[in-house]
Amino acid sequence: MIKFCRKNAFICLLVSGLILMSVIDITLTYQAFDHTFTQIISMLMIVPPIFVLIGLFDVWVPRQTVIKMMGQNSGIKGMALAFFLGAFSAGPTIAAFPLAMVMLKKGARYQNVLFFLMVWSSLKLPIVFFQITQLGIGFASLINVTMFVVFVLGALVSEKVMGKKELAVFYEKARATE
Amino acid sequence: MSTEMIVIYGLAFVLTLVSFLKDPLKTKQGLKKGMKSFMKLMPVLLPLFLFIGILLTLITPEFISRFLGEDSGLLGYVFALSIGSITFMPPFVSFPLGKELLESGAAYPQVAGFLVTVMSVGLVYYVAESRFFSRKSAIYRNAVSFIGALIVIAVVMVVFA
Repeated sequence: MIKFCRKNAFICLLVSGLILMSVIDITLTYQAFDHTFTQIISMLMIVPPIFVLIGLFDVWVPRQTVIKMMGQNSGIKGMALAFFLGAFSAGPTIAAFPLAMVMLKKGARYQNVLFFLMVWSSLKLPIVFFQITQLGIGFASLINVTMFVVFVLGALVSEKVMGKKELAVFYEKARATE
Repeated sequence: MSTEMIVIYGLAFVLTLVSFLKDPLKTKQGLKKGMKSFMKLMPVLLPLFLFIGILLTLITPEFISRFLGEDSGLLGYVFALSIGSITFMPPFVSFPLGKELLESGAAYPQVAGFLVTVMSVGLVYYVAESRFFSRKSAIYRNAVSFIGALIVIAVVMVVFA
């Protein structure tokens, strides 16, 4: 039991949380399961086509192309493409991780992949449009333009902070994934 | 069915068809690869969704609006940023909530800070993200997003002052 929990601390934490909730008020636990179920369903609805696209991307787009378009020397074009891919996406951020992994595996630059992830998380066009309808164009644009600038700088700085040595290990790990 | 779903299903369908016409074997390989990476995500996903389920139960919109409102001051900011970073909320819940918060008198910068962190800082995803990439990379992405939220708060303060 202790051994299991040391290895799967997260799961044990969740289970203890659920037990505690059941003690306080069992309806909370039911609600939590209900929410979990709805979230899983809504994810299962949107995620399968994303993985189909990831698979096709993997077999059809050659490594050379990715290196040229998003690799070390892709410059501003690489960032632009990363933005485009992130903005024209759908689905939760978690679905972006495997796609980002395939990009890295095929030789995309870390800075670009990180930027792609950041854009996916909050500057996806469908979400931006929804945001505008809810918050008004002024407030929404202010948020999004600021975040865009932050993400560009953040991606550039993160790669610098990461350091050459660590990046090399990182790329190696990405390439080793199947 | 939302537009984005129709588009993404359509795109996947058309591309699979084109791919199949060009090379059935390669297509099969691709679909298998996609399936594999989906399966790889699953074990991380299930506990994650349980966590999200618990969060959605405990941290409800009512709970948040109780703390973010008129005169909540500095504590309101701290609360907005921490709840936004920790919790998960689908966009179709978080943005209407943001609107509601504004209407009930919460300050614009607070709501902005909450919305930015809820979207981009995903501590919920931390385990999955560090497994896929690296711990450091996950920390960087979340840190950049969090700093972004602080900057957004400052910008909104200046503009909406």
